[in-house]
Amino acid sequence: MAEPLVELAGVEHRYRARKADVPALGPLDLRVGAGEFLVVVGPSGSGKSTLLRLVSGFERPTTGVVRVLGDAPVPGRDVGAVFQQPRLFPWQAVAGNIGTALRWAGVPRRDRPERIAALLDQVGLAALGKRRTWEISGGQQQRVAIARALAARPRLLLMDEPFAALDALTRERLQEDVRSLTGEERGVVFVTHSVDEAVFLATRVVVLSDRPGRVALDLPIPLPRSGVPADELRGSADFAALRGEVAAALRAVAA
Amino acid sequence: MAQNEPRRTRPVLLRVAAVAVLSAIWQALVLAEFWPPVVLPGPAQVWDQLLAASDSGNGQGGYAGSTVAERLGVSLRRVGLGSAYGVLVGVVLGLVMGLAPLVRAVAEPFVTFLRALPPLAYLSLLVIWFGIDEEPKVYLLVVAAFPPVAVATAAAVTGVNRQYVEAARALGAGRAGVLASVVLPASAPEILTGVRLAVGVAYSSVVAAETVNGADGIGGMVLNAQRYNQTSVVLLGLVVIGLTGLLIDTAILALQRAVSPWRGRA
Ligand SMILES: Nc1ncnc2c1ncn2[C@@H]1O[C@H](COP(=O)(O)OP(=O)(O)OP(=O)(O)O)[C@@H](O)[C@H]1O
Ligand SMILES: [Mg+2]
Repeated sequence: MAEPLVELAGVEHRYRARKADVPALGPLDLRVGAGEFLVVVGPSGSGKSTLLRLVSGFERPTTGVVRVLGDAPVPGRDVGAVFQQPRLFPWQAVAGNIGTALRWAGVPRRDRPERIAALLDQVGLAALGKRRTWEISGGQQQRVAIARALAARPRLLLMDEPFAALDALTRERLQEDVRSLTGEERGVVFVTHSVDEAVFLATRVVVLSDRPGRVALDLPIPLPRSGVPADELRGSADFAALRGEVAAALRAVAA
Repeated sequence: MAQNEPRRTRPVLLRVAAVAVLSAIWQALVLAEFWPPVVLPGPAQVWDQLLAASDSGNGQGGYAGSTVAERLGVSLRRVGLGSAYGVLVGVVLGLVMGLAPLVRAVAEPFVTFLRALPPLAYLSLLVIWFGIDEEPKVYLLVVAAFPPVAVATAAAVTGVNRQYVEAARALGAGRAGVLASVVLPASAPEILTGVRLAVGVAYSSVVAAETVNGADGIGGMVLNAQRYNQTSVVLLGLVVIGLTGLLIDTAILALQRAVSPWRGRA
């Protein structure tokens, strides 16, 4: 088998708290390959954000190993991240936020304007480059955050409840855009609380158990990735069956 | 520093009106003759004094050798130099303090100690060390100006939202990138609040600085006039210092708004 993008082997994580350590995650074994869209769901506090922080390199596992493309992860290398809040830099305009990301990604100055335009276009905000970050809606801000995370063309994209703060309609529209972010080279790990969102986006859903999170269900989602309109897909019997399966697993771990 | 927020808008009209009302009250007090004119001259006398002291052909070259404008220029140059170096020292020291907790632990008591001293108290020391020329006057203002900037900068740097720093690192920023593109811009508004305080402190210390061989400045004029009981000249000096101070503060406030239009919005 080809080298996985992400590999977690025997990973456990505990946070140091004042009195006792808090076991947050694991033990956990998990592999994510290119082309996979892995969606992680689980009860609140089951360690989903912790999992992403381990993979992005912001946190080291207490035991076990995390590898991204065969190496210990380093923030900003190979991995892009989108957080629940857009975290755009308000001291820069929309285009400037993406330009800075391109600079950090090592893109030469003369190539940046074109890449900024292409990235803005990709998230449907071609006209908004000059706006200040507070002059666009929450959904648009999150699109900019996605464009910014894509600037470095990361092999792996991590998204932690990126749509949690958005209204239902904006959320569905963004889901349709994000669904196509995987590619031959790229994988996505996406965290959500919404079972619908999970089944719609994923090629594979992992349900984590209650704290400390372990894999309670690892379910492939064999729904078509293209050719079927989103509404039709969401209304299909296959979709409903998969959703039922994930929801049942979630109920079981929460009980 | 957070309590020193710039207000959204302060209409110019309101400010002008306030000055007019104060002048009217002043004039009324003078007209009521509670005190003899030597003790409290009116706005009109101060105005006449301004005209006289601005006339370089009046036989004494304005007032005691220089016009008000020349004196103001000399003092502003001192304030400008002192504040500029003070801000430079303050920002650099503040950055280091904010980034290195150890440096902060060592430097903070020292900075706070300096801050508590009235400038006149260390002027003597500066005069002994550096003589009575221009340097000790500027040094005095530097010493007066840098602590508020250092304190504000250190606080701003430690207070930078970690979420921004993490976002930057997730985008591949190194230490220099985080410093230049996140920490500095995020701290800029608070640093500028420190600069406002610093320039204010420097300006209010210029009179102290000019007590030793500084007769050519506006503070020197006030001290000289005090010696001869020329109340209207003293008042003229105070008004000139106060008004220019107000102008400078307004300019810094405008700069702060221009540099950080996002303040309070993100
Ligand atoms: N910095 C920290 N220090 C101590 N404990 C922490 C820290 N961060 C998280 N935890 C604990 O670790 C556990 C897992 O947290 P985590 O944020 O990964 O959960 P989550 O699955 O993302 O939850 P949610 O769905 O609410 O976002 C929780 O019990 C939490 O309280
Ligand atoms: Mg979380």
